[in-house]
Amino acid sequence: MPTYNLKTIGVVPGAKDFIDIVLSKTQRGTPTVVHNGWSIQRIRQFYMRKVKFTQQNWNEKLSSILDEFPKVEDIHPFYADLLNVLYDKDHYKLALGQLNTARNLIDRVAQDYIRLLKYGDSLYRCKELKRAALGRMCTLMKRQGPSLAYLEQVRQHMSRLPSIDPNTRSLLLCGYPNVGKSSMMNKLTRADVEVQPYAFTTKSLYVGHMDYKYLRWQVIDTPGILDRPLEERNTIEMQSITALAHLRAAALYLVDISEACGYSIAQQAALFHSIKPLFANKPVLIVVNKIDARRLEELSEADRQLIQGMEDEARKISNGGAVGDSGEEVMMAMSTLSEEGVMAVKQAACDRLLNFRVELKVAGKRIADVLNKIHVAQPRPRDGVTPGSRPPVIPAGVAEARARRAAGDRKKLEKDLQEENGGAGVYSADLRKHYDLQDPNWKYDIMPEIMDGHNILDFVDADIEAKLAELEREEEELEAQFAAEGGAMSDDEDEEDLTEEQAADLQAIRARKRVLVAEHRSKKNSHRNHAVLPAKLANARGRTADAMKESLGALGIDASKAAERARSQSRGRKRERSASKARAGDGDAEMGDAGEKKRVHSSKSRSMSRGRSMSLAEPRPGSGLKDVTQRNKGIKMADKAQWRMNKMAKVGESDRAIQTKMPKHLFAGKTPGHSTRNRR
Amino acid sequence: MATRCQFENNNDVGVFAKLTNAYCICALGGAENFYSVFEAELNDHIPVIKSSVAGTRLVGRLTVGNRNGLLLPNTTTDQELQHIRNCLPDEVVVQRIDERLSALGNCIACNDYVALIHPDVDRETEEIVADVLGVEVFRQTVAGNVLVGSYCAFTNQGGLVHPKTSIEDLDELSSLLQIPLVAGTVNRGSDVIGAGLVANDWAAFCGLDTTSTELSVIESVFKLRDAQPMNIVNDLRASLIDTMA
Repeated sequence: MPTYNLKTIGVVPGAKDFIDIVLSKTQRGTPTVVHNGWSIQRIRQFYMRKVKFTQQNWNEKLSSILDEFPKVEDIHPFYADLLNVLYDKDHYKLALGQLNTARNLIDRVAQDYIRLLKYGDSLYRCKELKRAALGRMCTLMKRQGPSLAYLEQVRQHMSRLPSIDPNTRSLLLCGYPNVGKSSMMNKLTRADVEVQPYAFTTKSLYVGHMDYKYLRWQVIDTPGILDRPLEERNTIEMQSITALAHLRAAALYLVDISEACGYSIAQQAALFHSIKPLFANKPVLIVVNKIDARRLEELSEADRQLIQGMEDEARKISNGGAVGDSGEEVMMAMSTLSEEGVMAVKQAACDRLLNFRVELKVAGKRIADVLNKIHVAQPRPRDGVTPGSRPPVIPAGVAEARARRAAGDRKKLEKDLQEENGGAGVYSADLRKHYDLQDPNWKYDIMPEIMDGHNILDFVDADIEAKLAELEREEEELEAQFAAEGGAMSDDEDEEDLTEEQAADLQAIRARKRVLVAEHRSKKNSHRNHAVLPAKLANARGRTADAMKESLGALGIDASKAAERARSQSRGRKRERSASKARAGDGDAEMGDAGEKKRVHSSKSRSMSRGRSMSLAEPRPGSGLKDVTQRNKGIKMADKAQWRMNKMAKVGESDRAIQTKMPKHLFAGKTPGHSTRNRR
Repeated sequence: MATRCQFENNNDVGVFAKLTNAYCICALGGAENFYSVFEAELNDHIPVIKSSVAGTRLVGRLTVGNRNGLLLPNTTTDQELQHIRNCLPDEVVVQRIDERLSALGNCIACNDYVALIHPDVDRETEEIVADVLGVEVFRQTVAGNVLVGSYCAFTNQGGLVHPKTSIEDLDELSSLLQIPLVAGTVNRGSDVIGAGLVANDWAAFCGLDTTSTELSVIESVFKLRDAQPMNIVNDLRASLIDTMA
């Protein structure tokens, strides 16, 4: 099925806009600065590039226009004719042809000027040649203004054409103006075409869709046609003629039996006979409309004759020219107002078209691919299977349940629960709800997956229940046996033979244990809301020397010495400073007689502690400094140089500086959308 | 009655559901919409359960089953096995099998009486299929495809096979399976019937893309809603030829 992208043709700019588009693209797409020192060769190249680039742009844009517009010769004859009727084929082809010529001319201009540029001997001459080339291209395109404007209009009109598929199943409604074609369209489809009680309400083709026999059908509403020679018909009528001539559809010729449309039955019959050739090779149906106003039986004899004549003619066309009765109805009566007979007309028309298409297709080649899809393979009896031994398994009540559902009885589904409980993503369905277990109470039992490092399900076997029962029975037996022996279970028999002292100790131990456990627990609880402190701080209050003495004393240990020692250590220390080794410079040995340290810094206000940031080791070999003295001199000089600057709070070379806010080369716009940034 | 549905915007419902005459398994999804389609239609008659298999949602492609049993691939976890066993009635035998071709749903197609299996499936598996599912087993291909489960779907009443199956193959398969068969498509021309469609003896579910012609073929061949397979030859012939030729 060919599809026409009449709706996706790109905009055709006007001549002026077109020139602006291409020239600004050249400006943005090629280098713009000629530098002083460039050789003539490079200057030539610079301008040649501009000319070539512009030509390429023109070529690209024009080619895309020429490609996108449909070629009248290539498209379906229906569309070709429609284009001819609506836009005048000659004019259309001429416009496209002119664009094609312009494209070729531009190519030639570019070729010529590039050749000339090769001989350009100065910057000025090269520039003038480029200017001339671009100018001539633009002049050429300026002359295409009318063509471009016309093509843009055509494009806009085309994008609004109904998307009629010329090859699909379609019903074509035709007849005099005002006979009820659009009302019928509205009855058959949901296209909602305008219906008005005057002629030529429908000025172009309209398309609507409907379903019949699992297929989609296209219904095409055409403007009314008058009975006059083809040459005199206007554009509106010609659209109908085009559709009739090229679409292989079921043609429904509507006749207004009430003559309320302003045309007598005789006129309508005459039109039918004059456009008869257009109905060849398609199923035709004479549809007598408006029978609500005037019944078929109320017709005069003459009119009845006329309708009979049309019917005979339609039958002849349907039978491929042979006179005779094919048994199919070719004349039907209906009323779009009372909807009487409309569906019958639709069915008759669709069935006839479908049969017509199927006959054509069955005769074609591609039917072979479809044969297996219309072949129902029926099983042949084979050994081992008695017929009827394999019944379907349908639970009782399926039909009733379906009837109940159809009657509107709706159970609460998971989906409803989901909506009630916060919707998808929030609601978490209960997977165990429908468990089918021996005892429904087991549904939510927690079953461990892993126990003692073993996968429990690996140890499940079929007769685990029997084994469990056996074990339980055994245990009961043992218990019974024990009870019979009269031994009461008691675990404190060891305590029986303790001495009084031992008993007291045991008591003490247990009391202490309880205290410890309680302490631990309280600590654990309190830690839930507190920051974790290091042990030495957390317990600082409890760890006094007194506490130690007391607790050790309770254990019978004399801890006075230890307490004393702890006390002596907490005595306030004298504040003293040991001479830093680092500051000592040459070493410990000379520390004593070094006396006043020699200052290395220029400023007296500067802290001596600063000195450590400068290494006092010998300068590295290769650093260009002879010894420590020399390096210190260097430091002194550096400090001095900085001094005034610092004093005036001025910017020095070590301060961070952004020299150029927007470096030209990063913002000069060679990249589309200015995507390059120097810093972010 | 054939219903159109989607699993999370995917039309291959046969991948995410397994339907038999005794139970229906749906994949665990983000929402309950897919499950509820099945629940509404089936829950009065058979259990409709949600489970993953081997941690995936490809329930329909990994498992195979009928009224008598359910076979799970060896990649199924213990928990999934336990869950499925808890959900299904005791008459349905659930068994995990060690088969190299672990997408059982793709390799095996069955109804309650007969199964087609991939020609390369183990002999052992073949025996398990016969015993657990209680079916006759045939090693077959459908239209030259070894993945019989993917390219056909059949119930006790009828079946749909790959659209390129020749008429001779159709007749042969039909005699093997002892049910009427027709070649066709689902989901607007998809040839993976098994993935696009799940059916049992009274209900069928197919992807949302399925056209009305395809749907009516499905209803006819599976004898849903009192339709008969011969409708395809009688009533639907014109529509089928016009859409496909």
